[in-house]
Amino acid sequence: MDAYLITIGTLIVIYAITVYGLNVIVGYAGQISLGHAAFFGIGAYASALLTTKAGLSFWEALPIVILLSGLIGIVLGLPSLRLREDFLAITTIGINFIVEALFLYVPYFGGALGIGGIPRVFLFGIKLKGMAFFLLCLSFLALVIFICWWFTRSWGGVACFALREEESAAASVGISPVRFKLLAFVIGTMMAGLGGALYAHYMRFISATDFSFPMSITFLSMIVLGGMGTLWGPLLGAVLLGILPELFRPIVDYRILFYTALLLVMIRFQPAGLLGEGSIVRKWLILKPAGGRP
Amino acid sequence: MTDTLLQARGLSKHFGGLKAVDQVDLDIHTGEILGLLGPNGAGKTVFFNLISGVYRPTSGTVHFQGKRIDGLPSHRVAACGVGRTFQIVKPFASLTVLENVLVARGITRYGTFRRLWGPWQSKSETRAAMKILERVGMAELAERKAGLLPLGNLRRLEIARALVVGHQLILLDESFSGLRHEEISQLETLIRRIRDDGITVLLIEHNMRVTMGLCDRIVVLDHGRKIAQGKPQDIQENDLVIEAYLGSRGGRHAA
Repeated sequence: MDAYLITIGTLIVIYAITVYGLNVIVGYAGQISLGHAAFFGIGAYASALLTTKAGLSFWEALPIVILLSGLIGIVLGLPSLRLREDFLAITTIGINFIVEALFLYVPYFGGALGIGGIPRVFLFGIKLKGMAFFLLCLSFLALVIFICWWFTRSWGGVACFALREEESAAASVGISPVRFKLLAFVIGTMMAGLGGALYAHYMRFISATDFSFPMSITFLSMIVLGGMGTLWGPLLGAVLLGILPELFRPIVDYRILFYTALLLVMIRFQPAGLLGEGSIVRKWLILKPAGGRP
Repeated sequence: MTDTLLQARGLSKHFGGLKAVDQVDLDIHTGEILGLLGPNGAGKTVFFNLISGVYRPTSGTVHFQGKRIDGLPSHRVAACGVGRTFQIVKPFASLTVLENVLVARGITRYGTFRRLWGPWQSKSETRAAMKILERVGMAELAERKAGLLPLGNLRRLEIARALVVGHQLILLDESFSGLRHEEISQLETLIRRIRDDGITVLLIEHNMRVTMGLCDRIVVLDHGRKIAQGKPQDIQENDLVIEAYLGSRGGRHAA
């Protein structure tokens, strides 16, 4: 297959993994996050540092990276326990800027030069690149989608839906807001960490600007476009917003303008996303409810 | 002597200088319908929120089945077996009626991490939830989205959720307000039936006629203090109660 297509496809799959994580936080538990790129970056930097400076292999580093992302997710998720809606949105933006600034200004993280020379991923002694790495990412995506699917069918998932709908009513049926918001944050940031690790080993060079605030907006746009809280929405959103910039390469300077217009159109005509409640696509397909938001 | 299911002693909640609830003693006896009555701003809902864990009391204690529950957060109080409804209904709007009840069925699981991963829409759970819906007369609405229901049905739905959680005690916060006449009498029948099934009911109510007809016992609050308690007919003739509702008597016509 065309190397160009594989490149686009791999990035889309990596973004999709990350966006599924965001969907757990925003779509399932209803906690707005505008700083998801920070956790994507934490995963990428952690994996890059562990493999370049500590000499671990990708596979040795991966469990540490995922656990670390989840742990930092808990710490940075703590504000979400006290703040709601717009205040939480602003706080998560702040988290994004702080994390990006740390990457940029702490010499250990490579400063403005970033981290280069990140090794490729080996599996059974075979160097994974091109199509092979794409398939590896695809398997991770399948795993992530499976976990999300399982989560929406589990008691832990439905507790998050209840919190999203009515926090005090959820508490009145025994759901601890603290516990389940943190649960959603941990799952979501672990997925972002996984996405970040794959990104680092795919690009093999990372720098702070890869994980800046506009990236968070792109991630959020992907779930808004695809359908918040649905099972397939994040994938659809990642595919569409991954392909569109390529199709519109001639007008690359106007990309942000285009995104903004697209979001406005979505909010006006399809507020629940392409796969969300009452959407055109859903009416065509008559999909079964997924993620508690039919 | 009747058993005391819930016992509040010297319960107070002060917001700055405002004594919303002040030194209230209250016993809820097993198997009764206890009405909590009082004019607007008397502290009824605050008292409710103290029992159900929404607020932490400024002072005083609450014991439920001998266990101290004051100061516990809402979800822990719920886990003790106290179900409640809300004055302003709070359905899980985008879930169906059945799913709303299923969420409450998780009450025994939400506290234990390893019990969170089983499927919530299993056949046995659904069957149990349907039974509850039949009990409150909403079985035929099971698949409807909660957010689209009229108020009367939402109040029933909240009672259904409360019943799942509170197999001993349910707290009903103005479940009758805003309902039509026939809805009120249906709800009265339902609440009597719940009591007859052995569940104790504490209800806040504005509507005098409903309270008098439904409650076994009534406690009246005014300005955060308990001013009277007793059988409905005693309350009706209590001077302090009449004064609280109608103002002090200038002449006999006020009564």
